[in-house]
Amino acid sequence: MPTIAFTHHLQRHAPAHTVAVDANSVAAALNLVFAAYPALRGYVMDEHSHLRRHVAVFVNGAMLRRGDVLSNPIPPDAEIYVMQALSGG
Amino acid sequence: MSVCELPDFSDESLLRYSRHILLPEVGIEGQQAIGAAHVLVVGMGGLGSPVAMYLAAAGVGRMTICDDDTVELTNLQRQIAHHQADLGRLKVESAAAEIARLNPEVQVEALARRVSDEPLQALVAAADVVVDCCDNFPTRHALNAACARMAKPLVSGAAVRFDGQLSVFDLRHAESPCYHCLFPDDGGEANDGPCATFGVFAPLVGIIGSMQAAEALKLLAGIGESPVGRLLTLDARSMQWRSLKFKRDPDCPVCLQRP
Ligand SMILES: [Zn+2]
Repeated sequence: MPTIAFTHHLQRHAPAHTVAVDANSVAAALNLVFAAYPALRGYVMDEHSHLRRHVAVFVNGAMLRRGDVLSNPIPPDAEIYVMQALSGG
Repeated sequence: MSVCELPDFSDESLLRYSRHILLPEVGIEGQQAIGAAHVLVVGMGGLGSPVAMYLAAAGVGRMTICDDDTVELTNLQRQIAHHQADLGRLKVESAAAEIARLNPEVQVEALARRVSDEPLQALVAAADVVVDCCDNFPTRHALNAACARMAKPLVSGAAVRFDGQLSVFDLRHAESPCYHCLFPDDGGEANDGPCATFGVFAPLVGIIGSMQAAEALKLLAGIGESPVGRLLTLDARSMQWRSLKFKRDPDCPVCLQRP
């Protein structure tokens, strides 16, 4: 089953550990997590259900094209990682 | 740059840089390239401090450093180029003094202003490598756009709390992605809060900043491989790194401006 994990930065609103998700796309996986952590949605998605600015999603360590990443089918062993750009210096 | 422009080494310089010159990956030629180089460092805070200090110690010939802030007490916990006696002083003046203490051979141009305005392209054009140590997204995007247009390598680092990020955008090469390919600035407002309200673990900026200095020197001396198309992320709580791959986005509006 695919798994999903969130950068520490988002873990105030998201699961603190990697969780298994019965999903065949990143969008489906995110929706499962949003159901349990409703506040998370606003940090990951914008009002048009696109990835929010400065959020990036990696599947098995590689970024997919931004337009496709949510809807493309993912393999059963997919490890989804949701992260956010940092600006601090 | 041509060989005739490279500086000759005095006996003292040979001694000063001997532990670099002894490395076959650096050698005399690599050290000469470092000495002939001009690096633009944007931000003289937590990341900019170790970047400027390591580049100075390593003998980078010219550095332009930019920051419009003054040194505050809250900075001294991690911004190691600045000292107690520098409180209230411009960070670029304090850092320039620290660079001179480390290595008086380095020529420093200290610019006490934010760089997300007009002279940015000229500043980037004059540099061999640009190091992004700033604390805000508008400057990160502006620097990326200038480096894309001028085809300059950009060493990008960021650090907040216990989390660090590092990547190199080598915009001299067509296949390299840019910062905007990785983190586009469309898609609503960023929902990540003002960075000044977060804490920062003191040595985290030393870890990430030292890596930025390493990547800048590698680019200047032509050593090894840069993490181009790879975002390295550090969670210093567990000291776990991730290496995440990304490619140039064919729809990236910044990359469309590249020569
Ligand atoms: Zn791009």
